Amino acid sequence: MKTKNYLILCAVITVIWSATLILVPAVSDTVEQIMIGFLSTYAR
Amino acid sequence: MLRFIVQVIGIVVLVGAVTITTLKIDYMDADGPSILFPGGELVTGELHSGPDPDWTFTDDIPVIELQLDGPMSSRRIFIMESGGKIYVPSGYMQSFLGRLWKDWAFQAAEGDDMAVARINGIRYERQLIRISEGEVINGIAQKLAKKYSAGTPEAVAGTIKSINNGDTWIFELAPRPSILDPRLSTLDPQEGASDEN
Repeated sequence: MKTKNYLILCAVITVIWSATLILVPAVSDTVEQIMIGFLSTYAR
Repeated sequence: MLRFIVQVIGIVVLVGAVTITTLKIDYMDADGPSILFPGGELVTGELHSGPDPDWTFTDDIPVIELQLDGPMSSRRIFIMESGGKIYVPSGYMQSFLGRLWKDWAFQAAEGDDMAVARINGIRYERQLIRISEGEVINGIAQKLAKKYSAGTPEAVAGTIKSINNGDTWIFELAPRPSILDPRLSTLDPQEGASDEN
């Protein structure tokens, strides 16, 4: 993928993903559960 | 091929960074924390006044919301009642990730110990006092192990060991001095400062 297209893809992912996290509580809750599971496992 | 792999890694890192940044900002000024990310000041809920209640009702409450005043932030945390007093733990204190995750505990231990606990929608003004030794540790460890893990003798022993070696810190949610002695809240701050200098 060319650099220009790659940067556009990154920008689109950033906007869509951050909007999803803010607007869909179920998604952010699931993501947080995964993160807390990761921390509980590896933060020892 | 190498370029493609680097681009995929870049997207994975980007999604992680966007997730952490978005959720951190989203909850920064909220009335309470999320599961993992700190929230802002606890503003809703009746502010308790008068003598402490019988804290044994917290045995049925898995987590409470705890706000520290400096800096203003709140988080969800376990709670244990033992001997008529309430305590909160902070684990993973000796690992790199734990130090990032539990920065509030270091702040509290360094003196920013004024806190507000919201339990069942009621806010209690408290002071965090770290408990690191004494017989009281056994009762707290038993409650912690019983409430949040198997509660077996091995779990209790492991919890006591974790507290003794500093991997788990325990704080008492004690009444604030001004609540114990209302005269302290009416002292002239400059008068108090001159005593220290």
